[in-house]
Amino acid sequence: MNEKFLYRAAYVGIKEFKQQDVKTANASGFGAAADDFMERGIDLNEMLVHNKPATYFFRMNSDAMEPSGIFKHDVLIVDRSIKAASGKVIVAAVNGELIVRRYQQSINKAILCADNKRYKDIVMDEFSQFHCWGVITYTIHQLHLK
Amino acid sequence: MIAIVDCNSFYCSCERLFRPDLESKPVVVLSNNDGCIISRTDEAKALGVDMAGPYFKAKPIIEANNVAVFSSNYNLYGDLSWRVMETLRIMFGKDRLEVYSVDECFINLDMISADEISEVAMQIRTTVEQWTGIKVSVGVAPTKVLAKVANKLSKKNKQATQCVMVLDTKTKIERALQQTNIDAVWGVGFSYSEKLKHYGIHTAFDLSIKNTTWASKHLGGVVGVRLLQELKGIPSIQMKDELLCKKVIMTTRMFGAPVTDIKSIKEAVATYTARAAEKLRRQYSAAKMIGVFMVAKQENHHVTYNRGATISSYTTLPIATSLTNLLIKPALELVERLFEEGTVYKKAGVTLSDIVPDTSVQGNLFLPEADNKGRLLMNTIDNINFSQRNDILKFASSGTTRNWKMQQNFHSPKYTSRWEDLCLVK
Repeated sequence: MNEKFLYRAAYVGIKEFKQQDVKTANASGFGAAADDFMERGIDLNEMLVHNKPATYFFRMNSDAMEPSGIFKHDVLIVDRSIKAASGKVIVAAVNGELIVRRYQQSINKAILCADNKRYKDIVMDEFSQFHCWGVITYTIHQLHLK
Repeated sequence: MIAIVDCNSFYCSCERLFRPDLESKPVVVLSNNDGCIISRTDEAKALGVDMAGPYFKAKPIIEANNVAVFSSNYNLYGDLSWRVMETLRIMFGKDRLEVYSVDECFINLDMISADEISEVAMQIRTTVEQWTGIKVSVGVAPTKVLAKVANKLSKKNKQATQCVMVLDTKTKIERALQQTNIDAVWGVGFSYSEKLKHYGIHTAFDLSIKNTTWASKHLGGVVGVRLLQELKGIPSIQMKDELLCKKVIMTTRMFGAPVTDIKSIKEAVATYTARAAEKLRRQYSAAKMIGVFMVAKQENHHVTYNRGATISSYTTLPIATSLTNLLIKPALELVERLFEEGTVYKKAGVTLSDIVPDTSVQGNLFLPEADNKGRLLMNTIDNINFSQRNDILKFASSGTTRNWKMQQNFHSPKYTSRWEDLCLVK
């Protein structure tokens, strides 16, 4: 598929930020010096969501990718606007099921590998029902599960 | 040139997005209260499931063919609709768009040169599908009405057209109009199409060769002339700006089960009033008029499938307001006026009209804070409800048992708006 987005903006993340959203000291007395240097604070959306209408969240429910640092219960951030390329970790729809695997492309076939060796590779030929749902860009892992 | 982008069986596409097992399987989505079929996939259509038909009628076909059935999940559809429109806004800029409905959008493509138009139309389809996962059809033509015609035809034969049709020459337009039945033309209703058939007009083409005097006489004056011009390829229906302020706000639901007691109806009406007032405040408006309507259940509705008798009444308020408490009071008085003992009700609703800008919004410098307590209270309630979800703060008159609440037996998770509802993957 030829993907040149004729009218695509360079950055399509979180742009909705107003000057008034910058925090100030709101000091009633002498506070102006610091206010001159205030700017937009750290916003996780800015880092994790590059293309908002194309970004979806999933929750990992297996240990198939544990060696790559994706654990059960982790939140997966999936960007559909990124094309699947060899080596990327993707959400794939295989035979009606959504799974997380590393995508390996060779000349005549595609392989979906689990990094956990207890899982078998899934080899896709032209007869398999498969499509890439989206590419995983970040995972959110909670260290101390309550 | 104007494009119309229309999502294919939109609600069903939304349900399919996180359910790849339903790809190319028949799917239907039911209206609020699981009453009627409001969206169906091509596969369901092929089985003979009627669009807008009642669910119970289609049930035998649905059960025999294992059709997937969903209650309407407006939360999900709203989010995906925003994604589709936002993708188009990013591609073309918001000034070129007219969002026409939850799943349709006109795009002004005047800046695209003629030799690029087909490629751009195809790119709209592939980009929206790639980014959002929602399949769309694109019709492109010199006018809105012709773009609609193109869109319908592209959907008729999805494989051949790849869901894209561009009518950029006279021959293509003529051929498309010949393939379009008169009742499928945008703006021609059922009664008009019957009338036109009487005059020997069966296709859109038959109509397009009439002259304006004829249209003015037989097609309802100016509106008819405009429609005819559009069919002839002369743009006559302008692109509209984004609708920012609604002039009437309505909240209505079917009851989950028929209701006979005034207490339940009052609870329902209070709940709908609170929802309508919330919508009113979201657009910084206040309303001066409130109306309540109630629909009685018809005895033999299985046979006739009629709407049933609607009774309604309204009140003009002393001053325009957006405060839920000031709106609930007159609404409940209207219920008392309308309610008849012994009648079985199936539906009620609230309309707010005579809408003006809310001058009491927070930030109004000329109002002392004390006089604006009510509005500030509403702000606080809205903030809590929107951040905590599920209407955590309710007015007591809305009740707590809510046995009139609508039935939604086949509701899918709120995949895109709730952390606890995220789609699980292995």
